[in-house]
Amino acid sequence: MLRHALHRIMLAFPVMFGVLLIGFLLMQVVPTDPATVRAGPTATPDVIAAIRADLGLDAPLHYQFALYMGRLVQGDLGVSIINNVPVTQELSATIGPTLELMAASLFWSIPLGILLGTLAAYWRGSLMDRCIMAVSVAGVSVPVFFLGLLLIWFVGFKWQLLPFTGRGGPLWTLDGIRAIILPAITLGGVFIGPVARMTRTAVLDVLTADHVRTARAKGLTERLVVLRHALRNALVPVITLIGLQIGFLLGGAVVTETVFAWPGVGRLAVGAILSSDFPMAQGTIIVLSLGFIVVNLVVDVLYAALDPRIREA
Amino acid sequence: MSATQEAAEVAMPERPGLLARLLREPAAALSLFLVVALLLAAICAPLLAPTDPYDNDLTKVMQPPGSPGLPLGADAQGRDMVTRLLYGLRVSLLMGFVAVLIGGGLGAVLGFLAAFYQRWLDGPIMRLVDIMLSFPAILVGLAIAAIFGPGIFSVVLALSVATIPLMARIVRGSALVVMRLDYIEAARATGMTDARLIWRHLAPNCLSAIFVFATLRFGQVILLGSALSFLGLGAQPPVPELGAMASEGRNFLFFAPHIAVVPCILIFIVVLAFNILGDALRDALDPRLRL
Repeated sequence: MLRHALHRIMLAFPVMFGVLLIGFLLMQVVPTDPATVRAGPTATPDVIAAIRADLGLDAPLHYQFALYMGRLVQGDLGVSIINNVPVTQELSATIGPTLELMAASLFWSIPLGILLGTLAAYWRGSLMDRCIMAVSVAGVSVPVFFLGLLLIWFVGFKWQLLPFTGRGGPLWTLDGIRAIILPAITLGGVFIGPVARMTRTAVLDVLTADHVRTARAKGLTERLVVLRHALRNALVPVITLIGLQIGFLLGGAVVTETVFAWPGVGRLAVGAILSSDFPMAQGTIIVLSLGFIVVNLVVDVLYAALDPRIREA
Repeated sequence: MSATQEAAEVAMPERPGLLARLLREPAAALSLFLVVALLLAAICAPLLAPTDPYDNDLTKVMQPPGSPGLPLGADAQGRDMVTRLLYGLRVSLLMGFVAVLIGGGLGAVLGFLAAFYQRWLDGPIMRLVDIMLSFPAILVGLAIAAIFGPGIFSVVLALSVATIPLMARIVRGSALVVMRLDYIEAARATGMTDARLIWRHLAPNCLSAIFVFATLRFGQVILLGSALSFLGLGAQPPVPELGAMASEGRNFLFFAPHIAVVPCILIFIVVLAFNILGDALRDALDPRLRL
């Protein structure tokens, strides 16, 4: 188990290095010179040259990369061009809300998706199965922003039931919970379809296994066979597949944050790109990519912990 | 006709064609009809559109659907929504088509090379694919928009890059199965060059997998492209693109919801049609790809 985990961690390092290298190159190819921006519009060439030297921008590329890695290790991702605030400061303020939003969406969409997928497998071929699968296909086809706009229009504006802009406060307050409901429904809504579909396939696969046939031969009811013997075993691939869909969730989170003005990393990244705030864009992209790699790594190791066949393979 | 041939024909009833198999399923038939109708509408947009997509009439600003001469209303600049939607559909479909063509094409080449030169190229190519898959498509989109600036070019490039590793995996898997068949060995024995062998014998036998994946991917690409445009990273106003139109309409959601909602409904219909058609094609052509 430990060997498998270490092996996966070792494999993740080159990918992380690739992310950091791409992040570094990102700043090399953007059309704006950081020294000119930092010096301001009235700076003389001498001042700009001094800042370039100070930032190490006149050094060879490999030396600049070493400097960049050194700063990164110390948690220094540069300073925003727009508001002169350290990138890490902005990031640390926005990571929490993004994780909150993702957790709140998964909190309701995974159980519901698994329930729908199991029901579809239980009544396979029936009208119920067809309806659930139709909703699931519709779910993966609907743009996240469409769902968000509909909720804002009806629930937020017409019926005035819930707030639809910003974060109301910490999640343990009523305002905090009220504010996260619509974004969480939006983001979770597009996640139900894939989860239901994966659960149905996994349960149907397990239903043909020998131990399920034995359970049926023992005279167990179909409900007990599905719940106790099929679903339990099907959950392992479902959990893994859900983990692999985190990228899909991240994409949805970026859009959801923008629609609901949710103060998360995704909205920060989009705002930074639109305002050409390159250090901020670089920082957000690096953090989101590293976060994604770490989540994948955790899912991979967890999968092996749950299913011994994987770590032996 | 010999007796053996006759017997074979009697014993093996002719398998219905792909179109017949698709039309047998009502959902698949409807999605096929929708896809053809949407493609025709996009291609013939200049013929079908009542006005120019950039023509604005300030007397018609935010007119609701059903107003005289405006079946789907007008947007915040007083431009006819039907015209904007037709041209928007054209731009969105074209973006998706180019992205799937470029990304799918490059991915397929990588997949074939990995399968054909398994000893030398499989490892390096698949590691590259793994690294590419480590970046969710949205991050690829954000990074490319940061480098090249927001615009249609950035979105198409991002969608293409995000498609490459997925297609490479599908094609490699499919090609590895074909590579084990005897006729490939036989073709090799005739002294055929590698390039000719791949092009003439390997590729045609992987076409169904490529076709199914491309159709399914097309829906996802349209969804992702419209999301990037909605964020302001894709097509820029006044270019009519469905995601960008929804984004523009968002500012007027409380006064004229149709400006945002109608493009969203069209995106939903396009993606749904391609997803259902892709599923049906997979079932008809290559059930092994079923998740």
